[in-house]
Amino acid sequence: MWRSPISLVISLVCVALCPAQELRVPASVTAGDDASISTTGSGKATFYLLGPGASRKSDVNLGEEIRLPGKDVQHAGEYVAVLCSSTCDSATFYVSAAKPMTLAFVVHPSRVPVAENEAVSGVAFPFDQYDNLVLAPETISFQLASKNAPAISKATRTEDGVAWFRTASGKSAGPVQITASLGDITEKRALQQVASDPCNLRIKGERTAKGIVVETDPVHDCAGNVVPDGTIITFTASDATGKSTVDAPVKAGIAKAQIDASGPAVITVASGIVMGNELRIGGQQ
Amino acid sequence: MNRAIRFSMRLMLAVLASLAFVLASYAADNDVRVEINSEKAGPRQMEPLSERGIQRDYRAAWASIARALESNTLDPLNGPFVGSAEQWLKDTVLSQQRSGLSQRLSDQNHKVETVFYSPEGDVMELHDTAEYQLQIFDGGKAIHDEHVVVRYVVLMTPGADRWVVRELQAVPHF
Repeated sequence: MWRSPISLVISLVCVALCPAQELRVPASVTAGDDASISTTGSGKATFYLLGPGASRKSDVNLGEEIRLPGKDVQHAGEYVAVLCSSTCDSATFYVSAAKPMTLAFVVHPSRVPVAENEAVSGVAFPFDQYDNLVLAPETISFQLASKNAPAISKATRTEDGVAWFRTASGKSAGPVQITASLGDITEKRALQQVASDPCNLRIKGERTAKGIVVETDPVHDCAGNVVPDGTIITFTASDATGKSTVDAPVKAGIAKAQIDASGPAVITVASGIVMGNELRIGGQQ
Repeated sequence: MNRAIRFSMRLMLAVLASLAFVLASYAADNDVRVEINSEKAGPRQMEPLSERGIQRDYRAAWASIARALESNTLDPLNGPFVGSAEQWLKDTVLSQQRSGLSQRLSDQNHKVETVFYSPEGDVMELHDTAEYQLQIFDGGKAIHDEHVVVRYVVLMTPGADRWVVRELQAVPHF
């Protein structure tokens, strides 16, 4: 029966020392796929499986395969399998994410002034159908498209499950559509490019019976975009009595104000740190 | 008189139970050590104050995991987790309640490295090499007791008053 005394000794040693049962777990499992664990030995045993979202206890026959339905291994992560009869044996295996099914895509900001360096950024994470982060490298294409400028595209490989970009805002005010694509999956976001700070502020004015009426030329940023309504323009009048200041919001591209001054006055205009021209108005006749 | 004694006894028991809960929580919190290294964080640089906040909140999250998986209750999971991390942790607890199993994660040591911090600071990815003693119980009987080293990929995002764990996924290697 025994081929040699050595094999007999090995067998006897094993009977004495080897565990009554053994588990063989799969080398790799994809989330949601059926899997199986093989067992050795004979007789009845209790099988336990603990992992993310799973806790299972069942009676099994040693020597038979234990089937793990896909629903038991939907979450990626580490699973511990324990098999107990007279003693317990255990093994661990990992479930990895399935193929990407969705993209989590975050873009900042929602409104951005034009022509600003590194002002727009986006981050994308691929997830499988069970919301597991897909860590295997994938190529994600980012595209920024607006009406008055050619689309900008950038392909980025995910690293540790994340891909990101950062870019300057465009030169024209208006909506920008930003998409992140991975295979058939596309996620769209929109941001609004708005005019930057006013540039080349110009004012004109005239004396009226009630004082001095001043108004700006249409207020643009340096790229020629009309600044949004509500942008505050500050008019300052200096005359013999001192200085007076009036803030006026831009309405339909123009800011207008009335200043009470009867004598000759010098009027200046500013918005933020941008100064405009100086206007000299003579005294009341 | 008897009524007063019974009331005092009940009050004392309630105080003792509360004290036991507080002590258990304190013990669980102190059983978790987190070291964090954000030198390689990018593209956004991690400020020391943010790093301390992450360390505090991540440590609290693991103390909550330990409490939830040992006591098989969902309460500790409300707050530190959102999204898929919250979902699978709650699924685990509910599943353990059905199977009669529980887990004890003790003597936790987490060596955490920040590998990604988004340009706007609204999401970060951590790599955590966690070491702990894992015991699995069927009822009161221990069926598994092992010192484990598990690597976790973690996504955290800012919540209303703390950083919350959005994704917690064990991987064989980084």
